[in-house]
Amino acid sequence: MFRLALKNTLYYRGRSITTFLLTFISAYFFIVYVAFTDGSHSSMLKNALEVYTGSLQIYQKEYRDEGGYDYLIEDTEKVFELLNHTEGLKAYSSRLETYGIASSKERSAAIMLTGVDFAKEAQLSELKKAFTEGVYDSKGACLYLGSDLAKKLQVKIGNEVSFVGSAIDYSFVAELFKACGIFKTGMYDFDTQSAFMNREYFDQIFYSQNSSSYIAAMANKMQENDQIAGQITQALPKDLKVYTWEELMKPMVELMEIDSIFGYISMGLFFLVIFFVIMIYGFINVSARIKEFGILKSIGLSDRNIDALLLYEIVILTLAALAVATPLGAYTAYYFEAHPIVIEGMSDMYKEYGVVSDEVPTLFVPFTVAWNTALVFVLNLLSVLYPMFYVRSYTPTEAMRHV
Amino acid sequence: MFKTILEVAYKNAFLRKSRAILLILMIGLSMGIMVGLEGLYNGMYVHMIDKSMRSDSGEIALYAKQYRLENDIKYRIENSEIKVERLAKLSGVDFVLRRLQVEGLAQTATKSNPAKVIGIDLKDEEKFGKFSDFLKSGELNFGKNGIFVGSELAKNLKIKIGSKVIFTTQDSNLEIASVALRVKAIIQTSNIGLDERGIYLPRERAAALMAVDPNSATQIAIRSDSEEIALLQEQIKGLFPNLEVYTFMELYPQLKQMQSMMDIFNAITFTIVMIVVFIGILGVMYVSILDRIREFGILLSIGYAYRYIRIQIISEAFFLGFAGYLLGSLIGFLLLSYMKIYGLDLSMFAEGMESFGMSSTLYATIESTYFISTFFAIVIASVLSVIPPLRKIKKLNPVEVIRDAG
Repeated sequence: MFRLALKNTLYYRGRSITTFLLTFISAYFFIVYVAFTDGSHSSMLKNALEVYTGSLQIYQKEYRDEGGYDYLIEDTEKVFELLNHTEGLKAYSSRLETYGIASSKERSAAIMLTGVDFAKEAQLSELKKAFTEGVYDSKGACLYLGSDLAKKLQVKIGNEVSFVGSAIDYSFVAELFKACGIFKTGMYDFDTQSAFMNREYFDQIFYSQNSSSYIAAMANKMQENDQIAGQITQALPKDLKVYTWEELMKPMVELMEIDSIFGYISMGLFFLVIFFVIMIYGFINVSARIKEFGILKSIGLSDRNIDALLLYEIVILTLAALAVATPLGAYTAYYFEAHPIVIEGMSDMYKEYGVVSDEVPTLFVPFTVAWNTALVFVLNLLSVLYPMFYVRSYTPTEAMRHV
Repeated sequence: MFKTILEVAYKNAFLRKSRAILLILMIGLSMGIMVGLEGLYNGMYVHMIDKSMRSDSGEIALYAKQYRLENDIKYRIENSEIKVERLAKLSGVDFVLRRLQVEGLAQTATKSNPAKVIGIDLKDEEKFGKFSDFLKSGELNFGKNGIFVGSELAKNLKIKIGSKVIFTTQDSNLEIASVALRVKAIIQTSNIGLDERGIYLPRERAAALMAVDPNSATQIAIRSDSEEIALLQEQIKGLFPNLEVYTFMELYPQLKQMQSMMDIFNAITFTIVMIVVFIGILGVMYVSILDRIREFGILLSIGYAYRYIRIQIISEAFFLGFAGYLLGSLIGFLLLSYMKIYGLDLSMFAEGMESFGMSSTLYATIESTYFISTFFAIVIASVLSVIPPLRKIKKLNPVEVIRDAG
């Protein structure tokens, strides 16, 4: 039966070429499309996580809902001890955030001032990589300012900046700093609102020794992140809670899901048309061969044998197309992962939507390529169902008399 | 004669019912979904533009020189009332309003967030952009010290109706000024900048907070129904050479880019789908003609002109394509009508969509262009698909065909 199917695919060239080409095109574009969609999403998330967020964060339970100094982690060292013994973490660091008004000679702006351990941040986030001028790891009354914030305040390295806010005992804090460093991450809100200072001096003026708003950590492998979060949760005191990046970046994750859904709907449209065309060509081919099927049935082939013949034919054509499309699609996905397409000015245009890079990479995941290919394969198999049903509707005599 | 040809073409087109139904289904379903998607994407875009215009700049907005660069109340428009009156008299201008805006810090007892106070005239905002449509909760009444707060800012500050908020900023004298305010309403404009930062209060109170003349403004926004916005912009530039005049698209270039990208995406989708539809029609027409090749041979041999055969075959393809088009239009129209009236509810992704300035329910638009362009594309695909089979008929030697078939 397989040989007969093979001969038929070679004989009915028009249908074979059309089916082969359409299957090839749909499989190739599907693999590449999904790779670009996943790649751009993954790149946006990766950038956002690596720049500052980290892959997980630990909070006092009420902090994210209520906020404020009443819900700080009070024993940071104890959590550090736990994290020291947790495998799979690349880095971690505590941060203490406060809001206030920063003023230069003529300008004021609302800012988020964060006390950080600069050495640990260099391992954990991209604060150091984002450095543009001045000093990164400054000591004393020094600020590391976002580039847009510096522009807004009209300050340069060495200029004075005052800050008015409150310490964690809610006493009034007014302090004079120097602008010692400037950074630019490309994250819109971050660069316009954030300033950092070394934790030692921060603790002195805000009375925040051993306290943290939260502790951020980065897993070595993102796929192990949930497992690590689970381990940490089990060992943490009950008043603390671990949030994974999916929870921390929920809006962005949801937006990406929406984007993927719309993408799949568009791809679904292509599949629908291609499915119909393959079915139409299959059907035309089958209706032209009704006489042949009548003869086959009259010499003893059952309906199931005819079904098998038609299935073999479509499987041969589909596998042949997929054998070319899959490696080619996989290579395209792999190539553009290593050499992303660059669209100049894209990050600037869409900065409000969390785009921080002009690069549009693909994401090459063999499993994704496999399910993309499998879906095209299944759709092609489905396209032969109606022709099978059509052939079955003829008795051998009717089929042989068919014109 | 022509009528007879059309009748024959019509009967032949639907002679092989299974083939015809498959083809019509293919065209109908693909066109229906394609039109549905186009309307939904377009609707999403149109609503984003509409809400951004109504909540912020209108079709044209004026600023003092340097203001958009520095975002500082130092660069404000003085004597704004007279300017508003002059602008309102221009032809093509529907409504003009002014706003005062300053950036600062919003604080509750436990939370802080950067924010911007926007001084507005509520009645003018209603006329300008139907402000009441943006009300998410509470009531649009400022009262004594009431404010309206952007939805994302309210979420970040964990505030609700009745909560107290302190807003601190630098006034025009470079002094730090603070004011205690009570939340009266939560506003959702789907304009990220406003939803994440906006604190609305009466313009006079905003002026007092900023220590500026109540007759000054940081923005004058214009609603216009003029088709020639660029001309109106030039006219306004001539009237106020000391101010910066921007059209909506100059202020929101990302939306312009989004539109271009969406147009390109729609065009690519449209082209690919139509190419595949063309291949489908081609297959059916080719086989249909091969099935009847003897028939055409006989017709040619008895002196039937080739041009009549051509008209007949083109008509057959047209009838099939048109039947698919009718089904597609029906499916597309029903899909779009549903999405226009009820919208596509994506509230399970509400947090994500609202954070990025989109409404969680997407509404489609219905425009005749969707159906007209598809009609022409299907007609062209149908007519082009018969070229190869027609060429085959043209090369026919009637005697050979009749002999071979016999």
